[in-house]
Amino acid sequence: MGRVISATLARGLLALLIVVALGPILWTVLGAFKELRDIVTPVPKLLFEPTLDNFATILRNPTIRDGLLHSGVVVSVSVLIGAVLGIPAAHALARHAQRFGDDVQFFVLSLRFMPPVAIAIPFIVIYLDLGIYDTLFGLILVYLITTISTVIWLSVPAFERVPRDIEEAAAMEGCSPFEVFWRFSLPVAAPSLFGAIVFTFVLVWNELLLALTLAAQNATLPVVAASITSLGKEVPWGVINAATVVLVIPPLVFIGLLMGLLNTSVQSGRK
Amino acid sequence: MTRKIFVRLALVPAISILATLALVSIAGAIWFALMNRTLRSPEYEFVGAYNFLRLLRDSRFFNALEISALWELITVTGTLGLAVLLSVLIYETVQKPLWRNVICFAFLVPVLLPRVAAAFIWRFMYSPSLGVINYLCGLVGIGPVEFLADPSLALISVAVVDIWQWGLFFTVIVLKLMETLPRDPIEAAMLDNARRWEIHAYVTLPMLKGPLVSLALVKAVESLRSFDLIFVMTGGGPGKATETLDLYAYQMGINMGGRISYASAMSLLLLVVTTIAFTVIWKAGKKWAA
Amino acid sequence: MANITCSNIVKSYGAFPVIDGLDLSIPDHEFVVFLGPSGCGKSTMLRMIAGLEEVTGGRIEIGGTDVTDMPPGDRGVAMVFQSYALYPHMSVADNITFGLRRQGVSRSEIAPRLEQVADMLGLSPYLDRRPKNLSGGQQQRVAMARAMIKTPKVFLFDEPLSNLDAKLREKLRTEIRKMHLQLKTTTIFVTHDQLEAMTIADRIVLMRDGEIEQMGTPDEIFERPASHFVADFIGTPAMNFIDATIEAGHVARAGSIALSLSPELFPGLVPGQKVELGLRPASMDLAAPDAPNAIGGTVVLVENMGAEGQVITQVDGAEISFVTPQFRQVRAGETVHFALRPDQIHIFDPETGRSLRGV
Repeated sequence: MGRVISATLARGLLALLIVVALGPILWTVLGAFKELRDIVTPVPKLLFEPTLDNFATILRNPTIRDGLLHSGVVVSVSVLIGAVLGIPAAHALARHAQRFGDDVQFFVLSLRFMPPVAIAIPFIVIYLDLGIYDTLFGLILVYLITTISTVIWLSVPAFERVPRDIEEAAAMEGCSPFEVFWRFSLPVAAPSLFGAIVFTFVLVWNELLLALTLAAQNATLPVVAASITSLGKEVPWGVINAATVVLVIPPLVFIGLLMGLLNTSVQSGRK
Repeated sequence: MTRKIFVRLALVPAISILATLALVSIAGAIWFALMNRTLRSPEYEFVGAYNFLRLLRDSRFFNALEISALWELITVTGTLGLAVLLSVLIYETVQKPLWRNVICFAFLVPVLLPRVAAAFIWRFMYSPSLGVINYLCGLVGIGPVEFLADPSLALISVAVVDIWQWGLFFTVIVLKLMETLPRDPIEAAMLDNARRWEIHAYVTLPMLKGPLVSLALVKAVESLRSFDLIFVMTGGGPGKATETLDLYAYQMGINMGGRISYASAMSLLLLVVTTIAFTVIWKAGKKWAA
Repeated sequence: MANITCSNIVKSYGAFPVIDGLDLSIPDHEFVVFLGPSGCGKSTMLRMIAGLEEVTGGRIEIGGTDVTDMPPGDRGVAMVFQSYALYPHMSVADNITFGLRRQGVSRSEIAPRLEQVADMLGLSPYLDRRPKNLSGGQQQRVAMARAMIKTPKVFLFDEPLSNLDAKLREKLRTEIRKMHLQLKTTTIFVTHDQLEAMTIADRIVLMRDGEIEQMGTPDEIFERPASHFVADFIGTPAMNFIDATIEAGHVARAGSIALSLSPELFPGLVPGQKVELGLRPASMDLAAPDAPNAIGGTVVLVENMGAEGQVITQVDGAEISFVTPQFRQVRAGETVHFALRPDQIHIFDPETGRSLRGV
């Protein structure tokens, strides 16, 4: 009897936890389809007449549209460069660099310790002096620190998981180091590498401080969203909710992938 | 021979870009910290250690230092505590793989949210007049609580959002780690008639000591990057109640005044302290976890 | 097809040499097994011949060509790995033909060769599958097919059977041996399993601590072990070792044991010399108490091995075992006598461990 009660209690608690995890997001999604008068009620409303006005407002707003476009360009270019440069470097570190490999890896990791303000403040002056302040190029350049280092950091273990024998067997058949990398290591490690790229994408897509500091007119979506609060006199909660939803969608698309990455890295991490 | 060429071609571009950018930002920070440069005027001159000496007399800087330390402490312990508690709870009560997967998916969602989005979502929910949380508080007779406007509550309220994002994420990781543990020691403990909580306290969690230490480190590094969350939720306020070092440096250097040199000195100190702290903790942690 | 010559090979990791000045020459068509305990350098030797490991010093020749600094793909050798190292993202057929396709051999030429090796190894039904959908034995055969199709000058096998269960191991061992009889390709096979080495090899290179302890045919290694180490490593059940002293008349005495030795095999023994006797359990059998070279002991344990049994006895406080088909008549606690011919006794120098045969 006691077992049944405690089991039921535990189930209830878990259901509550799922609500805590997902509730805030669902509530925001609901809010995005509400008119302001349905939001500003003393008793929260679950039933209301849905409206697309909020989304229309965002998509008609040129600042938000530009923000979306800038985010798209900056994030995709910096992640692409990060992957193109970072993945071969990670393979070289995982397989070929014995003496200096550890030091290089620690250097790459230490870039992740670096507080973003410590990057932002010198760069704003340097960018102003060079005339690349408030340009997409400038943002991409500074994001390369994040993308290259994160791609390397996550890809080194992915390449270490590729069985060394396979690479040696390929070398026995006459493949050069580049061919071994391109035709064997890369396809075998591909699923984990894809996860690494997605993780990097999410990091850069979500970044606020550097974009806020180093750009003004050409800012990315998080900066634009962060500044919505001051549109007009009233706080436009519906619009804020809708902007949040737009901001949230791209990272959430990849949730299944992240889960897969987690499973493989957890399992291989504890051999 | 071709191997050396390949290694060079693969490593040099990536590492030289990283090294250049890192060097430029550090050298830049040192250079500006020794000047009296502002964003307003293009003229500046060498002032030596003046900025650093001023920092030592800046009570707002020490307040920010204290808030930053407090923030690290609350979010790291909160995240790990929640993760350990919840993962043990799920491990014990949910046996079906399907349900475990459902929970894991749900718990992964918050951490994927952009911090700006998470900040908005919770600011909306914390709102005294139209927030869900205050509505629920109202139902049990607690008057509207100014979660973000009350100096004694603001930091905790923001930390809750951080723990909501990372604690649930780490729960999934710890749960996955527990699933990969060998069953034998757990079964041996069961044969020794250990209670469920004893098994976890004395068998499973000690076996996960290494990964838990690394998780704590990852979270400590990540907590340094909470500018976005605090900036959107409170902007450092009310007053200076949630003003961490990066927020203060941002306010000093960019928002108000544009006192680049002063902010550079501050970010340089932050850089030195975190680099030393993490290098030491990282190496010690590796030794301890091994 | 080619002979292999390794001269004065040195391999160090950092300042620490694991192989220091090793010479080895393998004639054409021979099936050579590198045998030894783990860490003896046998895999390192194989990998240096393959080109996967750099040589710190010395020279490797294959078929008269110096290959010391050649990349592995140019040496004309093919290797079968312990883990099989199949390419997971390719079908079985692509795995087997990758090397040929890479060299630009035409499709029309590859097809019949693929068919031939697939037939030979019974892989024809699986050519379209991915390696992960094959059993361990099938994966092993794919790895062999991949090596065979290139018709290399030398085959290298790095413990290829150690991941298989005992029965399959035996079967594939026979297949590898048959394949060699047919193709006659020079082959080096690394293993730590002495039984595997004995059954498969033309010659065994027994290694220890980066040095060759003995090189010879399986019979030579078994019947004339050059050292205590070789004698101990080869043969199951393991050899008995007894410290003894030589007495006049070519007799070795150890407590109650007195064994007469062969003056032809061990001409150099002098009375008073300390020696170590090696007695193979399989060379001894039950004997009458007054038979020549009889040893008396108390039975401690009888181990049933099917056709034969190992009897472990206690003689003067030390254990000596022997093998007999009549083990079923022996009971623990009884006193038994067993004996062996003088020419089956091995004698080693207790200091150096080297055999005293012929000295």
